[in-house]
Amino acid sequence: MDTPVSRTPVRFEAKPAKWKRWLLRDFPSWLLIVPSLLLFIVFHWQPLISGFVLSFFQTKGYNAVKFIGLQNYIDVVSNSVFQQTVVNTFLYVAWSLVIGFTVPIAVAVMINEMRRMQSFFKFAVYFPGMVPGIAGALLWTFMFDPGPGGLLNMLLAKLGLPMSEWLQNSSLTIPLIILTMTWRGFGGTAILYMASLQGVNHELYEAAAIDGAGIRQRIRHITIPQISSIIGILLILQIIGVFQVLYEPLTMTEGGPNNASMSLMLMSYHYAFRYFEAGRSLAVGVITFVLLAVMTALYFRLNRKSNTD
Amino acid sequence: MRAKESAGIIGKLDFRSRSIRVLYGFIFIVLIVVSLACLLPPLWVLSSSLKDIKEFFAIPPTLIPHTLQFDKLWETWSQLNFTRLYANTLLMTVGMVAFSILFNGLMGYFFAVLKPAGHRFVFVLVLWTMLLPNTLGMVPIFKNIIDFPVLGVNLTNTFWPMWMMAGAHAFYVIVFKGFFEGIPQALIDAAKIDGGTRLAIFFRIVVPLSMPVMMAITIFTVNATWADFFWPYMVLKDKSMWTVIVAIFNLRTVVPLDIQFIALTFAIIPPALLFLFFQKYIMQGFTFSGIRG
Repeated sequence: MDTPVSRTPVRFEAKPAKWKRWLLRDFPSWLLIVPSLLLFIVFHWQPLISGFVLSFFQTKGYNAVKFIGLQNYIDVVSNSVFQQTVVNTFLYVAWSLVIGFTVPIAVAVMINEMRRMQSFFKFAVYFPGMVPGIAGALLWTFMFDPGPGGLLNMLLAKLGLPMSEWLQNSSLTIPLIILTMTWRGFGGTAILYMASLQGVNHELYEAAAIDGAGIRQRIRHITIPQISSIIGILLILQIIGVFQVLYEPLTMTEGGPNNASMSLMLMSYHYAFRYFEAGRSLAVGVITFVLLAVMTALYFRLNRKSNTD
Repeated sequence: MRAKESAGIIGKLDFRSRSIRVLYGFIFIVLIVVSLACLLPPLWVLSSSLKDIKEFFAIPPTLIPHTLQFDKLWETWSQLNFTRLYANTLLMTVGMVAFSILFNGLMGYFFAVLKPAGHRFVFVLVLWTMLLPNTLGMVPIFKNIIDFPVLGVNLTNTFWPMWMMAGAHAFYVIVFKGFFEGIPQALIDAAKIDGGTRLAIFFRIVVPLSMPVMMAITIFTVNATWADFFWPYMVLKDKSMWTVIVAIFNLRTVVPLDIQFIALTFAIIPPALLFLFFQKYIMQGFTFSGIRG
């Protein structure tokens, strides 16, 4: 290991053979990352490949038994729940765009305006992000308790409104799950936007103000263009993230009521660890993967187009 | 909290206009409401865990408890064996921090400083792990855990899977790489001439110069480990190995609601304290760490 490295100017030995040079110079470096590489192989690279391969096999336990071609895919797609699950997954994304995408931008712009208590507001909006995900999910499940003892139902009763079923209402369950996710995540995203807003040259606003531009015009012509690139990145990352939603429906509703909150990844989880159909679980995984890849490619395509226009 | 020169859209001159002042007041009120929506639910849990059972179920609920029952806290602590849960979580955290810094750090060093022939190819592979959606991992990783490749051992009910996963974290590798690239090459060359081995240079030169990034990654890992749910839940099936988060999830159907609130409080307080102490670090770190939700 104690050999001088290539860039060192002090090297007195004559030019050794190529393999010997490799052995002395590069091999010890590779040796250092052998454990890290093994970890990457076992937990990232091998699972990706074997997962893909296994999706074409009949499985027993978690082992391949027999090659069956696309049979897993056919079984999964012809399952009556599958269609609803795909629709649900897109609904998750749609609701997250309605609730989760706009809130952090608006909050960031508003906090950025504040001349007092800015650090308090930052602290407050970030705080839910520090509540562990499961604790947050449980907390909101308690608030959404459909009985008369649920906190939000008590509030409704006090206002003289009828009680709600909350998460047990199949048309409310996805928006409420997204609301919970947004509650935890938006503060962090708002902090990111704020960092970008701080970078906007303040003289632009002053110049615009002198030219008589109102607040709305300044937002439209200065603020939005300045932060549009980060908006684009966060948008695509959010879509990719929400499309793979698993923990929140798993912990809050287990996909219920009546599969109304079932997402693709939750379906994959149920196949794997509830019905022990590893092959079908992986078929769902591959389908999700392909859908995501198509959407990402489409996004970049559109993005490039709008940039060149 | 002092008034400061705004970096915002509304300039000083705008405040002469009445409608702008109204707008500013309106934004202020909206932000107060948003802040309350963020802070009240956790505060409600914290305060509820202090109430006696009668007040706990009282309608309407009180935010500031009239009754204080500290012995109930203590009872819950010992009944659910929180000493054990905290110790388990701590052990898992320490291991994950160690693995995370050592193995991701060495890989960052490999890409930033050593750069032997072929390192670019491996870097692309590492980068891809971060970019590709991980929708296929669940089953094969679980399979590797219950029957570890080559060794053939079953790692359920141990912390090894979580520790090892912490050691293969593409994002941290990239953060380390970025930071190590900023270390002056002259320092490393000098150490080489003095006969330092690669490993010695890493521990004696690179690590001491990288305290800020080590600190940041430690805080991230501690925070993430505390909240870590999925793999601990899948792997730690034995009650004696549960972490706090696994316990509050597994116990949610077993214990009464008021006890669950106390357990939830015990789960929220440590990361809240971490946040109070390292607020700057965590929020800054977030800016370079990317996104959730």
